[in-house]
Amino acid sequence: MSILKDLFHYNGNGWWRIPKTSESKTNPQYEHPFGKFAGMSKDFWTFITSGKGHASPAYYWAIAIILGLITMIEVWWFDVDELRYLLVPAMLFFSLVKFILVVAFFMHLKFDNKLYSTIFVTCMVIGVFIFSLFLVLSAFHGLGN
Amino acid sequence: MSNQDVTIQHGEEIKNSTGVSNKKLLMWAFLGSDVMFFGTFIGTFMAYRNKSLNGPYPSDTLDIPITSISTFVLLMSSLGVVLALHYLKESKMVLAKLWLILVIIMGMIFMGFQVYEFSHFAHIGMTPQANLFGSTFFTLTSLHGAHVSLGIIWLIFLLYNEYKGNLTSENAIDLELAGLYWHFVDIVWIIIFALLYLITAGDGVPPGGLPWIAGQ
Amino acid sequence: MSSIIGPKQFQIPRIFPRPMSHSGIWYWLGTVDHKKIGTMYGIVSFFWFIMGGIEALLIRVQLSQAENDIISPELYNQLFTMHGTTMVFLVVMPLSAAFFNWLIPLQIGARDVAFPRLNALSLWVFIFGSILMNISWLTGEAPNGGWFGYPPNSTIQFNPGNGMTFWVLGLNVLGVASIAAGLNFIVTIINMRAPGMTLMRMPVFTWMTFITSILIVLALPILGVAGIQMTGDRVYGTNFFNSEAGGDPIFWQHIFWLFGHPEVYILILPAMGIVSEILPTFARKPLFGYTFIVFSGIIIGFMGWFVWSHHMFTVGLGPAANTAFTLSTMLIAIPTGVKIFNWLATLWGGSIKFTTAMLFSIGFIAMFTIGGLSGVTHAVSPSDAQQQDTYYVVAHFHYVLFGGSIFAIFGGLYFWWPKFTGYMLNERLGILNFIIMLIGFNLQFAPMHWLGLDGMPRRIYTYAENMGWELSNLAATIGGFLIAFSVLIFMVNVFISRINKKLASGDPWDARTLEWSISSPPPHYNFVEIPKVEHIDDWWYKKYPELLEGSPKQTKSPKVTVEDTSNVDESKIHLPDLSYYPLFVGVGLSIAALGVIYSYALVTIGLILVFWGCIGWSTEPVNEPHEKHH
Repeated sequence: MSILKDLFHYNGNGWWRIPKTSESKTNPQYEHPFGKFAGMSKDFWTFITSGKGHASPAYYWAIAIILGLITMIEVWWFDVDELRYLLVPAMLFFSLVKFILVVAFFMHLKFDNKLYSTIFVTCMVIGVFIFSLFLVLSAFHGLGN
Repeated sequence: MSNQDVTIQHGEEIKNSTGVSNKKLLMWAFLGSDVMFFGTFIGTFMAYRNKSLNGPYPSDTLDIPITSISTFVLLMSSLGVVLALHYLKESKMVLAKLWLILVIIMGMIFMGFQVYEFSHFAHIGMTPQANLFGSTFFTLTSLHGAHVSLGIIWLIFLLYNEYKGNLTSENAIDLELAGLYWHFVDIVWIIIFALLYLITAGDGVPPGGLPWIAGQ
Repeated sequence: MSSIIGPKQFQIPRIFPRPMSHSGIWYWLGTVDHKKIGTMYGIVSFFWFIMGGIEALLIRVQLSQAENDIISPELYNQLFTMHGTTMVFLVVMPLSAAFFNWLIPLQIGARDVAFPRLNALSLWVFIFGSILMNISWLTGEAPNGGWFGYPPNSTIQFNPGNGMTFWVLGLNVLGVASIAAGLNFIVTIINMRAPGMTLMRMPVFTWMTFITSILIVLALPILGVAGIQMTGDRVYGTNFFNSEAGGDPIFWQHIFWLFGHPEVYILILPAMGIVSEILPTFARKPLFGYTFIVFSGIIIGFMGWFVWSHHMFTVGLGPAANTAFTLSTMLIAIPTGVKIFNWLATLWGGSIKFTTAMLFSIGFIAMFTIGGLSGVTHAVSPSDAQQQDTYYVVAHFHYVLFGGSIFAIFGGLYFWWPKFTGYMLNERLGILNFIIMLIGFNLQFAPMHWLGLDGMPRRIYTYAENMGWELSNLAATIGGFLIAFSVLIFMVNVFISRINKKLASGDPWDARTLEWSISSPPPHYNFVEIPKVEHIDDWWYKKYPELLEGSPKQTKSPKVTVEDTSNVDESKIHLPDLSYYPLFVGVGLSIAALGVIYSYALVTIGLILVFWGCIGWSTEPVNEPHEKHH
């Protein structure tokens, strides 16, 4: 786990694993694998999330705008005939993203006690797994006969 | 300190084994169980996709633009609930009431769209009895609509209590619970919209003209 | 929802005043005390046990001779359907719930469950749901499609009338009760443990309850969906299982067994928990491999989701699916075996006392192992192809459900009876009860193994004379009557013990867990002071702290005794007040379900009651403000 932390978090020495210096101060502002964009997003994120110890409304508006945009992309995708062959994976991906955004932020799961996440994620995993199994069984009914 | 006078009334103030609110834990566990409920219906729908022998097919009946609007409305109502809760916690009662009213209105608009959709379908001959698509579609969306309606009633009840002064920032957890329920209902709709409408709307007559159970 | 209490204490206007007295019928109807609720669960489910037993005896009488005609085929179908449904949903599940209700708060050191009124709701929905399902007998059309209701046999086309509709609606209502109880216990066990009771210091029964509650909460919604789909098909003409419209009856089997297989783990895990409590007590040894037993329980609960199609091996899923489910089913025997060996190791080297409870627990181990072995033969799909729909399967599930769950429940009854009632059950009658039940049970179900292998199908109301099955069937019938006799002995035992009232101390068995540290029966507030827990089997080590240092010698006299309740200042202890709203909601739900069959007016009345009940419930404070607490 700490490898992942090291890989995706910069601590002033770049995002690759280099031993920490004694002052672990973050100096380079945007030293990140994806460069300036990711850094600026992080700053924007901090800006909109710096409420009075709790998220400000702007934060929720931002999520809502993202949700609206994704919905519009979904409908647009549906309309475009050339992309029809990718419809199913695209719809699954977009709905997954929307799902995670609502659950993590609107339902506050990201910031609450991990117990809630454990319960909900376990139920989702069991549910999705079983019903995928069910769909596979129905689709391949009689396989091997 | 003995727990002798520990009451069992409120989950939020007492010291319990995890420090987590009883009611919120209950609501999350309930939502987990509801996942199985909706998951089974969605699974049935997906298993029966393209297997209708007759009757109005999805491509004839589903109206994506209208449903997109209702989806958008429901998504924004989720925002509304979160804002109502936020303002309630900060005791900005006017804004809290305003947003709660907006949520209720948006929920009712969504239900209005559902009712319109159902009656339109009945007009063109798509009923639960018509074919597999009708059965699975109507049960799933009706149950979702029932959940939304219960949510609306719950929110109206909370709004009434807010006006009476019974719902304040101290017991904001009650609005939070209703909010969790409402968000869950929204999530289910997100999935239904993607699976039932967008993915299925292109389904016409099953490929090959015959359903698989006829000996393919 | 009960904290909508603000400056203006809003309550929905009451037609009836809130019950306040602590005696009389209103006390029992409005109680939210987990102990009273547990008692009511126990009494009602024991009643259904008798009913289900009578249904079984009628079946056995009919089958005792070849080409018998005491019972018509139509009645026979109703009998085996209702016997199965009753025993699974109205007996084993609620008897387990009775134990959960009584024991969980006591074992974790709490004063009540997390949501006492929700607990009462589970009880009343169960009672009225069970009545709903059995009203069908009075209409002459009891359900007749088997306890699993397979279409197309259970569709309205081939099964007209209201029988199966009663079945499906009854199951949905009962599902609500179970889910509410499951949710309640999950929150209780996570959140209301005494200080110092970490998850790995909980008694095994509490752990098994926890896992069972999670299974209930995840599996019962699936049954609810199946029920809604079947109701839609039967009442509203939908096409879920209607092959003429392209529906696939096999989907019912998938959905039902997705519920059904976790359900059987719901039935057996509490029993395993009970046995895990009784064995260490009467072997005077700690449970061997506590961690293994707990984790096996978790693994069983988890893996139980992946085996459902072993009920469908002969349906035509294809060799690929059959093989996958064979493998997963055989794997699930492993954690079960781990538990069995741990129990045996608990007994090994112990100072064993053969009380009735201990005999039932040892009987459980033996009978459940036999049932498990026949289960493993089912797991292999080629051999299952021969066994499916024969009496071999009947033998298997009765060995695990009767020899397993019911034996353990009887053991639990004998073990905890002093705690629940304050007096001991007669041991001699108890041993007689056990012996006759053991003999009768084996006489009834052992022959079914070879009957099944010989080809006797299930669900036949009679059989031809020259099949050679008469002797075994007659033996089975005699066994059935022996079981009935043993249950009668149990009831006589209860009656006589009540008269003799040999008072029990708080800890008559010198047992290990927290519920034995309080008086029998416990005071309504359970614990004078919530205990601080330091070990597994904390009460045991409080009594005999020298055992902690590894001393093999145990003093005869325990260091601490049962709590003294004489000087308790009850005004400091807050317990919730009574409430009749759960009763209202329970009645309303069943009336609404009945209305689906008969008339929409009933549905409306039912739903009005439910809504009124819910709103009243949410505006009612947990305690009336000016009430002097008992």
